[in-house]
Amino acid sequence: MSPETFDALSLSVRVAVLATLANALVGIPLAYLLARRRFRGRGLVDLLVTLPLVLPPTVTGYYLIVLLGRRGWLGAPLYAATGWSIAFTWYAAVVAATIMALPLLVRTARAAIDSVDRDLERAAYTLGRSEWRTALEVTLPLARNGILAGLVLAFARALGEFGATLMLAGNIPGRTTTVPLAIYSAVQTGEDQTALVLVAMLTVLSCVVLVVANRLGARAA
Amino acid sequence: MSARLEVRLVKRLPDFTLDVEWIVDGGVAALFGPSGAGKTLTLQCMAGLMRPDAGRIVVDGRVLFDAATGAEVPPQSRRIGYVFQGYALFPHLTVADNIGFGLRGRPAAERARRVAEVIQRLELGGLDRRYPRELSGGQRQRVALGRALAPDPALLLLDEPLSALDAPLRRTLRDELRTVLSEWGAAAVVVTHDFTEAYRLGDRIVVYEEGRVVQSAPRAELLWQPASESVARIMGIPNILHGTVIKAAPDRIQLRWRGQILEAVNSPTRSYLPPPDAPIAFFIRPEYVRLVRKDRGPADPHHHMNVMRGVVVADEDFGTTWLLRIRLEAPGPPAQNGWDLEVEVPHLVYEILEIDRDRRWEFSIHRGSIHVLPA
Repeated sequence: MSPETFDALSLSVRVAVLATLANALVGIPLAYLLARRRFRGRGLVDLLVTLPLVLPPTVTGYYLIVLLGRRGWLGAPLYAATGWSIAFTWYAAVVAATIMALPLLVRTARAAIDSVDRDLERAAYTLGRSEWRTALEVTLPLARNGILAGLVLAFARALGEFGATLMLAGNIPGRTTTVPLAIYSAVQTGEDQTALVLVAMLTVLSCVVLVVANRLGARAA
Repeated sequence: MSARLEVRLVKRLPDFTLDVEWIVDGGVAALFGPSGAGKTLTLQCMAGLMRPDAGRIVVDGRVLFDAATGAEVPPQSRRIGYVFQGYALFPHLTVADNIGFGLRGRPAAERARRVAEVIQRLELGGLDRRYPRELSGGQRQRVALGRALAPDPALLLLDEPLSALDAPLRRTLRDELRTVLSEWGAAAVVVTHDFTEAYRLGDRIVVYEEGRVVQSAPRAELLWQPASESVARIMGIPNILHGTVIKAAPDRIQLRWRGQILEAVNSPTRSYLPPPDAPIAFFIRPEYVRLVRKDRGPADPHHHMNVMRGVVVADEDFGTTWLLRIRLEAPGPPAQNGWDLEVEVPHLVYEILEIDRDRRWEFSIHRGSIHVLPA
């Protein structure tokens, strides 16, 4: 395996793992709130989270540049204060992968939480549990398989992310070139051997992920 | 324990309004009425799972909710046990963990002792490590009861506790539930749409209709003195009939029905004095109509009152009894779909009198068996 191939693979795994963790931290509470609470702006939150699923990834990437780029709404003040910008760093790849994977987790987890009988939560309240403890002891354990299936799907999505990553993180070999980007570059420059190796690796990984997700899904049902 | 319950609730939902008030002094109260009458909503408000728009809930002197003062105890601190329709047992926890769920925060040893005690008292021994899906319907019901009773609640709420069970089991468990409720001495509110269940389980019955209380009475009083025709209909009483008042006195009411003059006893607790010629509703229990035996001579006014003559136009075998549909020999259309009265006779009587071939009868109804329904 060439050093470039190894770099791309290790970066991809790192990005996908971190993006999945970020998804768990943000996505599970978000899925719970969307499933169980009625609050102002709920529809808007739902729309924003789901949008990356239907928008072309380059469009999502463009919005991320508008938000986080050196001249972006959040990026500009950050750059002014620290002289650092997230754009074209590997962190940007994590952010892009997180945003692109989030709808998969939130939608799957939300459906799983929705299917938990509300009387079980009500029973927990009358038996002295707060809403927070009830979520931890009753709702989330019962939605566990759906949530895990969502995390597996999010991991797969993060691993294969291309468009939004290219927009926000660029394609800098050794720094922001993930496997999908490396495949694109290899095909462009005629390195058929490299492309084949990377394609095979992603295919195998994706198959494993699908099998795991299906098993979890079957147990959830 | 004889907890006094005071419930006054107003809750407006988009297509339904609950507006009820009732008081119970200890024992078991049965909220009875058709589905969608607001019974479950009442329980949810009592348990704090739903916030009423107005009203006041007091359990044994403890104010759980009072819209006027803004007082509201959260469901976690109400000390109310709730047995849900379908039981809502935690499927990922064992029987022992389900029962011990409400004992969190107590020392482990005390908790284990209490769980063991509940398991023993509800005869769930040997099942403590099973999961709810591995239990029978009756066992689930007892686990749900045990889970609600383990923290020693001030009040137990049961929502259709028997509806998840098969018919043969229902009767057995109904009586078992009655025993559990009286043995534990817990004040309880049971919701049911089945009058027999309400009567078996409740000391007092509160009748719901379309979000309102139409009657609240001790069960025996309700059985014989429904407050109105609509209460009688909700109870499923047969032979609800309409006549005209001839004369009403505090102890007797004379009325005209289907060309007959009937004499009824006025209600001893709340006599009802409608003016002459006013329409009046009344009911006659099918098992209180007496057939006049032909082998003992003609009807005798000392033994038989409200004597009528009619033909059995249809009959149905209910196993231990026969239900006869009788059409009076009187001009005019019959009072109910092709017949005037439903009469219930024991099988033995049906056989002895050979009702299957002899269809023309005289019968009498004691004045105490004609129950007037206030308008």
